[in-house]
Amino acid sequence: MTIPPVTTSRKTVGASGLTGLTRSSFGDRAAAGVVRWGFVAVTILLVAFFAFTEPNFRTVDNLFGMLKFIAPTAIAGLGVMMAMTVGGIDLSVGASAGFAVSIAAWTMVIGNQVGGVAIIVVLVCGLLIGALNALLIVVARIPDLLATLTTMFVIVGLKLLIVDGKSISSKMSLADGSTAPGSFTADFLWLDRGSIGPVPVPVVLFLAITALLWFLLERTRWGRALYAVGANAEAARLAGVRVQLYRTFAYMACGLLASIAGLLLGARIGQGDVSAGNSLLLDAVAVSLVGVSVLGIGRPNAWGTALGAVLIAVMVTGFTMIGLPYYAQDFGKGIVLLVALLFSFTFSRRRTVVVAGSHTN
Amino acid sequence: MAKPRSIPFAPLVTLAATALLALSGCAQSSAETAPAPETTAKAATADLPAPFDGDPVSVALVRQSGAGDYFESWGAGAEAQAALANIELTITDARNDNAKQASDLEQAIASEPDAIIVDHGQTDTLQPLITRAVDAGIPVVVYDLALTDATGVVTTSQSDESMATGVLDQLIEDVGAGAKVGYVSATGYAALDRRAVVWNEFVEENDLDVVFSTGKVTDSTASDNIPLVDAALKQNPDVQAIFAPYDEITKGVVQAVSQNNLSSSVKVYGIDISNADLEVINAENSPWVATSATDPTAIGAAVVRTLALQLAGELEETDVQFPAITITQEFLADNDVDNVAALRVAEPTLTLDTTLVTDWLPAAS
Repeated sequence: MTIPPVTTSRKTVGASGLTGLTRSSFGDRAAAGVVRWGFVAVTILLVAFFAFTEPNFRTVDNLFGMLKFIAPTAIAGLGVMMAMTVGGIDLSVGASAGFAVSIAAWTMVIGNQVGGVAIIVVLVCGLLIGALNALLIVVARIPDLLATLTTMFVIVGLKLLIVDGKSISSKMSLADGSTAPGSFTADFLWLDRGSIGPVPVPVVLFLAITALLWFLLERTRWGRALYAVGANAEAARLAGVRVQLYRTFAYMACGLLASIAGLLLGARIGQGDVSAGNSLLLDAVAVSLVGVSVLGIGRPNAWGTALGAVLIAVMVTGFTMIGLPYYAQDFGKGIVLLVALLFSFTFSRRRTVVVAGSHTN
Repeated sequence: MAKPRSIPFAPLVTLAATALLALSGCAQSSAETAPAPETTAKAATADLPAPFDGDPVSVALVRQSGAGDYFESWGAGAEAQAALANIELTITDARNDNAKQASDLEQAIASEPDAIIVDHGQTDTLQPLITRAVDAGIPVVVYDLALTDATGVVTTSQSDESMATGVLDQLIEDVGAGAKVGYVSATGYAALDRRAVVWNEFVEENDLDVVFSTGKVTDSTASDNIPLVDAALKQNPDVQAIFAPYDEITKGVVQAVSQNNLSSSVKVYGIDISNADLEVINAENSPWVATSATDPTAIGAAVVRTLALQLAGELEETDVQFPAITITQEFLADNDVDNVAALRVAEPTLTLDTTLVTDWLPAAS
């Protein structure tokens, strides 16, 4: 995996950054190195440990299997990351993904449309949900946590209303006694079950989206402006950044990413499972929080989020292979998140950590 | 600007890494010394045949949910039986997250076990993966999972028809034809769908007046059904009987009936049994008057025996159904039954200790 070079244009984050390192002692450099590479090291250690003890872990199949399994969580986590770049948070990602699953199923099974239409409908819905969040936060000025929590309930409720509280499956009986005309089409199921060369489609999407967002955030003026808004909206405004526009953009990007995560879930389940997406929110938020600290960057970033997701996939798969029950896996995830947050907030030399609108000094 | 405090990072990271590794280290030892559930297993009278006579046989058990009394007991029975047959079970629990179960099964197939057991799940989600496992030459046994293409798969289930029929016969005997009844269940689960078919037949034949139909299955089914039934009861306090064909739902229904002070006028009919269920049925003024029982521990064990016989080439059928019996509140009181162990004594047919057993593989429970 390519680790992105740290850009030097981090004045907006307000930290001394790498420039301070040249004058610091060896101890300080070692400390910074641990903050920066500690998580990568833990991930590599874990992978090495599982690869050594479990022959089935070290197969290419398993590598792609793990990445595929975590792809929806990672993509939703990248969505949360986008909201975090502007100093916000989005609690509606799980609901948006679940909405996407049901809407895709409805479009294909009840509406009898092909997969391509379902995908477009879902992506448009994702953008609309993001726009709704932006409307509540930017225009109605409701705090992000409360606004997106509200949206979460509204979307889950709307989904249940649309599908009468039912899971939509191919050839289901409708209220009037007839049978649903459509079914999940092969092109839609390809999103989960297909592969491009040897690489499963969800893995391709996961890596492509990560690379795209990395480029956007680290290599374009838009990215710098997003971070500027997250670090200090007022300063960004005075510097001429159109703050409201960037925040709207971030939430719409989040809605879009959540709906892509939902498309993958829908293709994996193969029916409009009403409970889909319920467990996605916490994992997505956890992944993006780990992402802030993983590479010692101290702010939301794409590769960090992706690495956080991979770490969770490695833990869940490895722990399962050695026979650890799921509740112990949650404990493991909790410890990793705890260590990540300690790195971000407690041990980091950086004075400003931009997470979920909370600025610590 | 204060000088940054110096913090021993390296030891901390080492600690974190060690903690993670230690965690996983614990796992293996605990898997080996996992306390076996209470067993009254008879000793095998013959040596294990191939493929069980060498290294442990690796079997992936892919579960939709392992939570709740029924599933916990089921898992305990499966583990106990696996231990007797020299099977190493790798268990995944999707916690009712169907996407997770698909991933679990996919990863199980990738790890090329000697066999796979799939416990519950959604047809549309799992059918393609099961077909893939069969194509990969991995023997598959499914439990309570409806398949559209069961070629090469051994299907097992509780006999849902016999379960629902037994309890509903009791319901008709108690409240008569034409009674006002409520129905609390969910669709999309193979077992519940099969029970629903029986229910619909009974409604038709006995001219039952269904005043409400509600219910759902979640990660906390019992508590999530209380508000639904509570509302339905407030609307229809004159309902005479409620059929709730899944014990987690039944418990929610009982709670809702009790909190509406309707225990004396509403009878609740459930399906499934566990120690916790027996406690609810035996409680004073409990509206839960009849349930249908298989012993989940015995079933979990019998599914593993099915697989073992299949791998040894001794299984003669491809669809195995485990029979159920109907148990009334009265029967439990008369026989002083307050736990499943006592129920096995009072109703020995539950233990399935003559089903699918051979001289090398006695029942574990």
